[in-house]
Amino acid sequence: MSEVESPRINRRTTRSSSSSTPNSKSAVEASKTSNDTQNLSINDLVYDNESIAFDELIDSFPGRRSQINELVNHLGPLNSPMIPLFVYGGPSRGKTSIMLQIFRFLNRPFIYSSCITCYSPRILFESVLNQVSLHRKNVGNGYSSAKRCEKPSDFVNLLREGLATLMESLKGKVDKSGDKKLSSQVNGRMIYLIFDNLELVREWDKSTSTLSLLFNLSDILKMAEVGVIFISNTSLDTYQSDTGYVEPFPVYIPGFTEDDLRQIFMRNQANPKLYSSFLDMVLKPFCRITRQVDELATVFSPLFKKYCEPIDDLGAVLNEDTKRKLFSHLQPCISLYLNEAFSITSQPLMKTSDNKERTWRKGITKKFGDESLDEIDFHMSASAKYILISAFIASRNPATLDAALFDSTGGSDNHKRKRKSSEKSKEQKETKEQELLNKGPGTFPLERLLAIFQCITSVGEYSPGYELQSGDFGGEYCGSRFMSDIVLQLSSLCGANFITKGGTCPLEGSIRYRSTISEDLALKVARSLKFPLSKYLYRR
Amino acid sequence: MRRENHAEQAQIIIRSRLCSPSFIFSILSDSPDSNYSKLKYIVSSSVTEACNNSVLLLGPRGCGKNAVLELVLEDILKEHPDMISVIKLSGLLHCDDSCALKEIARQLCIEHQLLFSKMASSDDNTQFLVSMLRECGFAHKTIIFVLNEFDLFAQGKQRLLYSLLDAMQSVTSQAVVIGVSCRLDADQLLEKRVRSRFSHRKLLFLHLSRDDLHRLLEHILLLPTDGSLPHDYVAAFNTKLLHILADENFHGIIDVLSYPYSTVSELSRFLFSTVCRMDLNPGILSLENFKAALTSVQRQPKMEGLKDCSILELYVLVCMKRLEVKELESCNFNSIMEEYKSIHDTFQTSDYYARNVCLRAFEHLLQRGLISFEDNRGHLQSSEFRPVKLLISWHELQQGLKSHLSCPVLLHKLMDRGN
Repeated sequence: MSEVESPRINRRTTRSSSSSTPNSKSAVEASKTSNDTQNLSINDLVYDNESIAFDELIDSFPGRRSQINELVNHLGPLNSPMIPLFVYGGPSRGKTSIMLQIFRFLNRPFIYSSCITCYSPRILFESVLNQVSLHRKNVGNGYSSAKRCEKPSDFVNLLREGLATLMESLKGKVDKSGDKKLSSQVNGRMIYLIFDNLELVREWDKSTSTLSLLFNLSDILKMAEVGVIFISNTSLDTYQSDTGYVEPFPVYIPGFTEDDLRQIFMRNQANPKLYSSFLDMVLKPFCRITRQVDELATVFSPLFKKYCEPIDDLGAVLNEDTKRKLFSHLQPCISLYLNEAFSITSQPLMKTSDNKERTWRKGITKKFGDESLDEIDFHMSASAKYILISAFIASRNPATLDAALFDSTGGSDNHKRKRKSSEKSKEQKETKEQELLNKGPGTFPLERLLAIFQCITSVGEYSPGYELQSGDFGGEYCGSRFMSDIVLQLSSLCGANFITKGGTCPLEGSIRYRSTISEDLALKVARSLKFPLSKYLYRR
Repeated sequence: MRRENHAEQAQIIIRSRLCSPSFIFSILSDSPDSNYSKLKYIVSSSVTEACNNSVLLLGPRGCGKNAVLELVLEDILKEHPDMISVIKLSGLLHCDDSCALKEIARQLCIEHQLLFSKMASSDDNTQFLVSMLRECGFAHKTIIFVLNEFDLFAQGKQRLLYSLLDAMQSVTSQAVVIGVSCRLDADQLLEKRVRSRFSHRKLLFLHLSRDDLHRLLEHILLLPTDGSLPHDYVAAFNTKLLHILADENFHGIIDVLSYPYSTVSELSRFLFSTVCRMDLNPGILSLENFKAALTSVQRQPKMEGLKDCSILELYVLVCMKRLEVKELESCNFNSIMEEYKSIHDTFQTSDYYARNVCLRAFEHLLQRGLISFEDNRGHLQSSEFRPVKLLISWHELQQGLKSHLSCPVLLHKLMDRGN
């Protein structure tokens, strides 16, 4: 059979790479290291060189004793076949680490691939085949895979061959038992395939065929010495398929209770009593919003720093007075942190200087949803700001209002006398406006955006207190010379996701845009330009 | 210690039995009107009488179609050693025609020790197939084509099916085409010209009956008395097992298990779970093992997801439920926030959090599969404005709230009031 060539990527030579002379000594060293890493053996399919005891395994995962027992029982005694296993549960509950540590404890060979790093079927197949054929990508082979594999049929054939050779070498090892008792000796004759983060496969292009292939893999291979394990964030019923597949055996990893969370957070703490009193304060309120360990950990670390501020010596013994002092120091911040738990601000939330304390104390009394900063913290050119405001107005207001808001002088018209409307029609109008607001920002064509932009910028030069920038403004923008500038700005705003491209209008075929910024950001941008945005909005 | 070794050995024996379908089905296939005998008759008659034939095996997943087929092929290979070659294709892997022809050519080459070239085009492969059929016909050898996931072959233009069934029409060829599918209407998917060349023989594989179930249980679980295990252990194991199988509670467990589906694969998963839980010290199965296995096999993922929700997430779910009751056309995150605010205004709860915190709780619920977006146009709108729907019913939500460890009383009141 003809050999399949590995794909060679032709590298373009840049000036720097062609000018530097290759160092012969480093080339020799590089080839030496590649030779060392080239010869992998079956021992490399096991987790580590040191295995752990069962008690150590249980201790490293608090609150998971029954799940670990269930998984170990499912894997069974040495050399016993198993039906495919499906481990599921929410994120950051320890599924992957429990699985890998169990394999470390059992010292059995496994092949692990995660659907985060292997983001397409080809990469997934090649990753599994590389591990099966004990091939590692390094400088020597140009970081290429052992075999190129795109189609599922090739994958199954190559996998079968690779697994057969692996079994041979495993059997050989078992037969040669006794003479060299290495601590890294591989246990058993079975090989396990672990597919992690399976829920991401649902979003791939060929998701149905790939999922059917993976779930039916043990049936297709029909090798009793292969065990298949799936790890997923979501349960089996979220994997839908037309004709179904053979269901693997589900094992659920539940979320942590508050006691478990306390145990987890108390691990490896320098001053356990101090941290324990800290947890007494914060664990209960924060568990009401989320019970995921990663999110709680991100919130707790700055809070703990704040908690320890009054004491000088972190190793000191805690008495009742200190506890009360720390409690009163932290108590006011907790509600602030509860509401800012998941937002990423560009400046740290807690500042230690005194005048800043006064400002954030004031900030607590503001109503929810307001950010503590009044300015936008990134730079935009003035024309981009105007485009952004026009886009926001265009998305917010229905198109029929444009004529009323922007009359020929460019100013909003406040002189028309409004008819007195009855209570009921006012209420109806309000609910309609509210519904429109709830549906989200609307789409608008490019012409409307440009029209609003022209009206706004012509207003801008008449509003009091507005300083003209060094570049020309106002009337200049109506000239066609600057139209291309505006379209370029628009495309860069689209790239930054401030404006998205909506669907195309079925009648005209022109592209429609939609503004995605929040009202707060729009107000901030308008404030920086001293533009009276609230006068132009449909409803305040 | 030695007891544990025996127990482990027993576990390994039963687990290997459960993982090999042919063992399971060998006991169900001894009666003369079973699918096994019918299939065997069809295949062996086409082999001995040198004629062409085609048959479809249909039935739900896990009912033994492939297992029975394997048994039949094994027996026929034993009876007529050199007269058969088997080509196996799968609709999952080979639904593309050129891919399927390449696979057929590859398997034929392996069978007959010929050199296979990967560079051959699909025309070359078709030619090869036709000439192989002719040659095998002259040598009185039958080629059996097994097409798994037959309904996937019937998608598209069905060129492969047509060429296979057409090649069978000539007098010189001797081939049997066996299609295996889980769709009971797989033959309706065939095109007119393909269907006319098909012999319309179908074998239906159905669910287990109660008697079959009991025979199967004994067949799988009773340890062999002539194996390597000591006699007294085997005797103790088997007597306890027969005692359990006759128990009324056990019949209740089996009823609950087979109520949704009574396929062999469900039963083997249940028995696998039971054997895994066997206590290694006495090394004997007990009724508790069976009970625990039942709960582990029949899972309720939405209830599990509800139990793990934080309180804010429960609030979001209850708000969505109330909006559903008010019969608005669709709700999105904004309307949920308004409902949340109105609840806070009415009841003055202490659980009122800012918008971004609620958005994160909303995303957790999406991730966990308790709510989902109604449409697929994700790139057009941000997640705050897209309409969402609940994936759990009122009853499930109430049950979930009751079984939640720290659900606030207000939520119970809100749910009851809305009912």
